Amino acid sequence: MIVASDLTKRYGDRVAVDGVSFTVRPGHVTGFLGPNGAGKSTTMRMVIGLDRPTSGTVTVDGARYADSPAPLRAVGALLEARALHPGRTARAHLRWMAASNGIPVARVEEVLGLVGLESVAGQRVGRFSLGMGQRLGIAAALLGDPPVVVLDEPVNGLDPEGIRWVRTLARDLAAEGRTVLVSSHLMAEMALTADHLVVIGRGRVLADCSTREFIAEHAASYVKVRTPQPGQLAELLRRSGADVVRDGDELRVQGVDTVTTGELAAAGGLVLHELGLVTSSLEEAFMTLTAGSVEFAAAHPAEVSR
Amino acid sequence: MTAPVLTAPRTAPLPPGGATLPRAVHAEWIKLWSVRSSGWSVAAMVALGAGLTTLVCALVAPDLAAGGTGEPVGAFITWGLLFAQVTAVVLGALVVTGEYGTGMIRATLAANPRRGTVLVAKAVVLASVLFVAGVVTAFLGWLGGNAFLSAEGIGISLGDDGMLRSLLGSGLYMAGLGLLAMAAGLLLRSTAAVVSVVLALVFLVGNLVMLLPGALGEWLTKLMPGNAGSRIATPETFNPVLLEPWPGFAVFAAEVAVLLAVGAVVFLRRDA
Repeated sequence: MIVASDLTKRYGDRVAVDGVSFTVRPGHVTGFLGPNGAGKSTTMRMVIGLDRPTSGTVTVDGARYADSPAPLRAVGALLEARALHPGRTARAHLRWMAASNGIPVARVEEVLGLVGLESVAGQRVGRFSLGMGQRLGIAAALLGDPPVVVLDEPVNGLDPEGIRWVRTLARDLAAEGRTVLVSSHLMAEMALTADHLVVIGRGRVLADCSTREFIAEHAASYVKVRTPQPGQLAELLRRSGADVVRDGDELRVQGVDTVTTGELAAAGGLVLHELGLVTSSLEEAFMTLTAGSVEFAAAHPAEVSR
Repeated sequence: MTAPVLTAPRTAPLPPGGATLPRAVHAEWIKLWSVRSSGWSVAAMVALGAGLTTLVCALVAPDLAAGGTGEPVGAFITWGLLFAQVTAVVLGALVVTGEYGTGMIRATLAANPRRGTVLVAKAVVLASVLFVAGVVTAFLGWLGGNAFLSAEGIGISLGDDGMLRSLLGSGLYMAGLGLLAMAAGLLLRSTAAVVSVVLALVFLVGNLVMLLPGALGEWLTKLMPGNAGSRIATPETFNPVLLEPWPGFAVFAAEVAVLLAVGAVVFLRRDA
């Protein structure tokens, strides 16, 4: 279990993490979701003591990471694939890590097999692709067989098969009763992997709930109607309290469901060509939620409003 | 690639262990020898140090024997160390800057967040390797150089005044110089910056202060790290101003200790 309470990190004037509190429970995959620059990596670095919080605390299974007698056995972390010396072989990288925490050398071969790098274990990691580097980073995270696993953007640079592999891995680790925290800026990926979501933007927690709740709450939907008499139908709908946006012969209606919309049309004697419920994608929900908190936003042309 | 099959954690737990200092030393030892630059640095030290000592002795032996130079013979027997010390600086810098330059430092501090332990482990491994390499270099240089000196009848035996001390002193000076570079690495974090600053301090500044007039120039010359520390590595010296071997080395060791302490304080507080 990871518990962050009122965690804050300032770099000079810039507040990277601003009073963040959350709990990551064992047995689940918790997705740590936010746009780039939201403070995910900074928070994760504070979990394993690389960065010192300006204020607040974060503990792993009740203790500070730095107080853990054998840290690699307490928390396995993939922070950056390139936290490696390019001139060292994959095997040597894992060997020194194992030695530092009294982990048997046999475990090195075990994790190399686990991530599928046995055949290139003797190669210098400078020649590794981004995906191979990620796999080595994951091997390093699993080296100490830790009850808590923290993976920062693990699918970066992986091919579709690798992405599915990480997804399965995260779920398997959680199923074994471990605490799993996985960060991503990709909502769709998180929706497939995580049971629980902690969403942050500009250093603040925007949502902390189950993935199902998040989808129900934030994935907005609307009723789409096509009719040859859009003006009249819009009028009827508005009178019953709905928000209506007209686009030619198509109406987008929020605030009433499809049944009410159909009945209102029938009562008014209006012809419908199409009636249906449109659910917006999770990605859109995420964008909406974090819209105000994107640090480096591109200037968009005015988007269709609902 | 293969599908993941996780080893069940509950049925086959790893034997207990902790991130102790001996383990940190072992980890640093593996790290040091698993990158090519370390082997090259040590090989370069031995080749440069022993090779140049042998070469210079071969060249000057006839003149020295004839008494034409007025230079002390003992000043040549570890002469190659003057150049070999560059490799100690490089190795000392890389122990720290190699990690900052690559991002490795995060893996290191994740594996052991007790930064003091990490630092001690790095220092122990670096100093031990450089001490042994320095002694071996000086010994090989003595073997090679002395062959030429002996041929001219001016050989120096290991029992001669200061010779054994110079061999050990070569190791001590190399270890100290490596630690000095490591300390600078903690402060500057860039290989190029550390190597240039430390070499400038040892070679350039150490010689420039000799030009300062009077007692000030003399004392600065005595106290500069390269001048104070290197005297222990040679039986006799070209420079009569220098401190005696052991007092000089004590000054040098104190300077290294102070810089290491400052570097350690910065290292303990800084975000990785």
